[in-house]
Amino acid sequence: ETNKLYCTSVKCCIFELKAELNSDKKEKKKEAVKKVIASMTVGKDVSALFPDVVNCMQTDNLELKKLVYLYLMNYAKSQPDMAIMAVNTFVKDCEDPNPLIRALAVRTMGCIRVDKITEYLCEPLRKCLKDEDPYVRKTAAVCVAKLHDINAQLVEDQGFLDTLKDLISDSNPMVVANAVAALSEISESHPNCNLLDLNPQSINKLLTALNECTEWGQIFILDCLANYTPRDDRESQSICERVTPRLSHANSAVVLSAVKVLMKFMEMLPKDLDYYGTLLKKLAPPLVTLLSAEPELQYVALRNINLIVQKRPEILKHEMKVFFVKYNDPIYVKLEKLDIMIRLASQANIAQVLAELKEYATEVDVDFVRKAVRAIGRCAIKVEQSAERCVSTLLDLIQTKVNYVVQEAIVVIKDIFRKYPNKYESVIATLCENLDSLDEPEARAAMIWIVGEYAERIDNADELLESFLEGFHDESTQVTTQQNTQVLHKHTQNTPDSDNPDLRDRGYIYWRLLSTDPVAAKEVVLAEKPLISEETDLIEPTLLEELICHIGSLASVYHKPPNAFVEGSRGVQHKRLPARTASGESAESPDAGQSVGGVSDAPPAVIPSQGDLLGDLLNLDLAPPSASVPVVPASMQMGVDLLGGGLDSLVGLHRPSGSQYLSGDIGGSPIAVGLAGGTGGMPAGLGGTPAMGGGLGDLFDLGGGVGMATGSYVPPKAVWLPAMKAKGLEISGTFARRGGGIHMDLSLTNNAMSIMTDFAIQFNRNSFGLAPAGPLQVLTPLAQNQTIDVSLPLNTNGPIMKMEPLNNLQVAVKNNIDVFYFSCQYPISLLFVEDGKMDRQVFLATWKDIPSENETQYQIKDFHLNSDAASTKLQGSNVFTVAKRTVDAQDLLYQSIKLTNGIWALAELRIQSITPNYMLALKCRAPEVSQYICQCYELLLRN
Amino acid sequence: MISQVFILSSQGDHLIYKDCILMHYSQENSLDLYLKLVGITILLSVQCPQRNKNLNFIHVRHSGLYWVVSTKDNPSPFTIIEFLNRLAALTKDYCGSLSEKSVRMNFALIYELLDEMVDYGYIQTTSTDILKNFIQTEAVTSKPFSLFDLSNVGLFGAETQQSKVAPSAAASRPIVASHGEQVRKNEIFVDVVERLSVVIGSNGVLMKADVEGEIRVKCYLPTCSEMRIGLNEEFSIGKSQLRGYGAAVRVDECSFHQAVKLDEFDTYRILKVCPSQGEQTLMQYQLSDELPCAPPFRLFPTVEKDYGSRLLIFLKLRCDLPPKRYLTFVGISQTVARALLLFSLSQELSSPEQSAELQPRSKAVLWTIPRFPGGAQLSAVFKVEVPRLSSASLLEVGPISMSFELPKYTCTGLQVRFLRLSPTQPGLSQRWVRYVTHSDSYTIRI
Repeated sequence: ETNKLYCTSVKCCIFELKAELNSDKKEKKKEAVKKVIASMTVGKDVSALFPDVVNCMQTDNLELKKLVYLYLMNYAKSQPDMAIMAVNTFVKDCEDPNPLIRALAVRTMGCIRVDKITEYLCEPLRKCLKDEDPYVRKTAAVCVAKLHDINAQLVEDQGFLDTLKDLISDSNPMVVANAVAALSEISESHPNCNLLDLNPQSINKLLTALNECTEWGQIFILDCLANYTPRDDRESQSICERVTPRLSHANSAVVLSAVKVLMKFMEMLPKDLDYYGTLLKKLAPPLVTLLSAEPELQYVALRNINLIVQKRPEILKHEMKVFFVKYNDPIYVKLEKLDIMIRLASQANIAQVLAELKEYATEVDVDFVRKAVRAIGRCAIKVEQSAERCVSTLLDLIQTKVNYVVQEAIVVIKDIFRKYPNKYESVIATLCENLDSLDEPEARAAMIWIVGEYAERIDNADELLESFLEGFHDESTQVTTQQNTQVLHKHTQNTPDSDNPDLRDRGYIYWRLLSTDPVAAKEVVLAEKPLISEETDLIEPTLLEELICHIGSLASVYHKPPNAFVEGSRGVQHKRLPARTASGESAESPDAGQSVGGVSDAPPAVIPSQGDLLGDLLNLDLAPPSASVPVVPASMQMGVDLLGGGLDSLVGLHRPSGSQYLSGDIGGSPIAVGLAGGTGGMPAGLGGTPAMGGGLGDLFDLGGGVGMATGSYVPPKAVWLPAMKAKGLEISGTFARRGGGIHMDLSLTNNAMSIMTDFAIQFNRNSFGLAPAGPLQVLTPLAQNQTIDVSLPLNTNGPIMKMEPLNNLQVAVKNNIDVFYFSCQYPISLLFVEDGKMDRQVFLATWKDIPSENETQYQIKDFHLNSDAASTKLQGSNVFTVAKRTVDAQDLLYQSIKLTNGIWALAELRIQSITPNYMLALKCRAPEVSQYICQCYELLLRN
Repeated sequence: MISQVFILSSQGDHLIYKDCILMHYSQENSLDLYLKLVGITILLSVQCPQRNKNLNFIHVRHSGLYWVVSTKDNPSPFTIIEFLNRLAALTKDYCGSLSEKSVRMNFALIYELLDEMVDYGYIQTTSTDILKNFIQTEAVTSKPFSLFDLSNVGLFGAETQQSKVAPSAAASRPIVASHGEQVRKNEIFVDVVERLSVVIGSNGVLMKADVEGEIRVKCYLPTCSEMRIGLNEEFSIGKSQLRGYGAAVRVDECSFHQAVKLDEFDTYRILKVCPSQGEQTLMQYQLSDELPCAPPFRLFPTVEKDYGSRLLIFLKLRCDLPPKRYLTFVGISQTVARALLLFSLSQELSSPEQSAELQPRSKAVLWTIPRFPGGAQLSAVFKVEVPRLSSASLLEVGPISMSFELPKYTCTGLQVRFLRLSPTQPGLSQRWVRYVTHSDSYTIRI
């Protein structure tokens, strides 16, 4: 009962309910149980009523019985001993003449996860599995899966699995569907024992049941069929024929499950077969129909279509128009449609597509406009005939002078230049006019590339590059990398003195190269650039195959294999498409060549989609870049994954779609990255250069800085509740953040004449949802004049209510004498979390993104710490310094803070060496927290 | 499969919470935590599924309530969205109407429904025919149903301003009559609802026109008898097929509810179905690119740069429908400038019941016309003050989009010829057939 100190009414509520539950009148009882369930729904604890509710169980009123069972399912686990009281009634109900009651009993018993009850469940379950009523049988079938989850051994010992297998041949399709569903679930935890035992006979049974089932049953059966591998193309065709009618079902889930089966089995059909063509034609209309559904469904459909288009572009090649964006589509639907439009773009429809894209580029939504501009560039690269028109469209857009449109256009024009060198240089003059408006790193990098590349045609290329160099220290990594290479391009030998080790190393490498062997250096820097790929961000083929096997599931929406996001996915069961049978082998497979990354054979090599600075570095020592690139088996992909994240943060690439800017110059390839990270088996040439190894180490160290949770500031304890206000109990306390957790450190002093026991604590709703993570541990009674120190762990999962001030916390403490209330304030630094270090790039973008209304300025006076000391001090309390700049004898620290509820605060701390005052500028999307953060700064710095 | 089912109010309060696989996650750990991170309003603008702490959340929104499912493994989001839509429809069928209040009042009934619909996360059934055998609880309605109460007149399902077509309040009562109710009204409603999306290019050429339509039935007949719905005999499906001699009514693609029997469809265009109680969509169809009639509107826009920094927009709008037809509620919006923050608007409209306003958030002018008869022509002049107007700004004057509603009209020409119940229902049975076309996305480019 200590749970609800704030709602004293609950107690009397429970008292009243108790009386009503024990009433003689049936109606009154029913109403009482309803009230109990209503309280349960809103999260009130009504477990105290367990015995009274169980008493209502023995009734012939089905409505009341159902309500009681609903209650039982929720509370049985917390009251296992009491739950036993219900067993007799359950067992009796399983014998009831009314099939509804039998089913209800067996359904509920399976949901009570109490070991003792499962023993009693076996006999009734066995009977129910063979019940004459199909409703009881189908409920019992699911119950086997429930029991298996509680006690797998028991299910096997009792032979329930065999009974379940028998149910697959049941006369009632609902029973079949549930049996299939239960067996599929159970077999996932036993990958080896072939529970479902799919063979032509059982498949035939399933296909028959398919026609009679409810729509939901059809989904189970189709999903089960998809796991079967037909023996040959004829069997495959006959299954396809029987599944095809499902494509016109009104339920989209049935349609997608059917599409999955067909996409998988089609793989086995020879392509010259007439039926293959027919099937392709049949697949398009249901997919198109999905796009007229509500946006939620459209989005998941589009994600699936994206996969299908990559695997078999021929299915939807004539349906371009349905992917045109509607003005009232939500943004997430628009972006997906755009992606598919590009994939479907071909010479036949390019004019139409371009006209659309140009319209989109004038819309209001910035993200969408950017993507539309990029799409124009991708069209140019994909369909050569359209390149000229694309370039002129882009120039039109540049004329609008809308800042982000111009920048985006320049980025894609760079890609077009790379794909079609020496063709469209006439536009360079227009691009140079817009030099000043470029403020995004990617656009600047692109512009530098263009200037460097076409230096001989631009009269003042030196000047232009020079002007970019001026801001070298302020530039982000990607721009400087580009500058570096381009400056080298011009053979200007001034190696910049940058503080980014990664860049510096790169600069040195070039410099050494240049000084030792200018010829080799020229070869490296000015080497042939790999051609830009036609299709960007294609899904890697083996992953695509696996995802095709998961069409219609969450995996197909996330574009990730299920084991990447399903918790404890048992074993790694990668699904594969079936191999084509001998008869189909001869057939051409035009799509295969297209979707392979093009690693193995010759040009055009694909531009990697991951950042590959490391690749560049490694390649330098490995071999001249023109040397053939080794073939990487698919398994190496793991290495890229492992490293991908780290690289991203190192190099600052956050926009995979536009990551071509770094590569190219040296011919870096994703393979190099794979080699370095995946196996540790670096080529000998590399291992021999310790300097390089060190450089790599440095690179990795950069990511550090997390996990330093020590040294957080703890304010001294203050008296929160004086003894005179609390009948002799004095409470003083403070808050501390230790080891990533929040603690409330309390000292309880007994100034009264009697012993205090039965302590409990509760918080009122507060701004950040602080709540005790466990009970207040005062194990021994508190004697007179005794003080006890307790540390109460807190979490932030409690209910939320905005407090004034924001960091106010109202606390109730109970003991054997009374309940006492007090309020206290916690420093907001308590809520700064350990992973609050923001990446530089993100920081920069976020800082720009937060409107200036949300910026607040504070002055911290009389302060004499240098910037490093301040930075260390703040770091101890999870205020992370992202970057530091020194301008005019001022140190500028850029810092990020993340609160437990995910709010970020960005700070610029200005430390002047002349005056002892700090200036703090805070930007936060929730500006109301700013003043509290500022208070904390002061507090943290002064202590 | 499904781990938890929630029904949330628009403020994010739990109205219904069911833990299907007994994870014994406290509510705090899952949805609330997620919502705390993102806020309830974000559900309006994000795609689902969303992922948080090993749980995937899928949500839909109906009648201002959020219907959410969480799941741990890798189920089909299609299944779950369809399920949530069905759950919302069934809740509406059983409770009469869908609102926070009706859900709160009928929580016991909804729990009972959920118990029968989902077992251990597996969806069992969503058909009223099967469910009615199990459901014991009676619906609680806030006030007794009265035919004369026209306060909530509206076509069920479609969000519309249409009124006085049928006593539509009849369509918002529970499908199962409570025992207290004396008169059981045997009614059946058949609605043909079409959504029109059109793109007209800047040169006035029709670039794209699609119609998505459906035939919905809401049935209050207690006993299931066969219903025959006759469609136009010249109704044809697919590109090449043509039937009859009259003007063809053609669609590209059709899909049917699985209960529909199609043995007489090919020859006589008759749908046979034993309708379950409640609401169902019997048939869905699409037509793209070839409308049998001209689009209902033509618009002649001119955009000029006036002296100084003023933008002049003339709009002339003509309705090409026959004079007997009319449109209810036409809203026209046009993006005027996107990069500029300050501007002001003056307007000249042709009738006082129209209105026009500048919408700062979407940077668009919204022109509202409450009723627009066929054959009529309306015009408007907008003068927009745009600081620092350049010729490039003219490029930013965006497309015009229109939203409207056309009662008693279908774009494809699809009609219900007859509606027969066999055997003839004992007692009074009323049959209603209603048509409406509304805009989905009607865009005119400039």
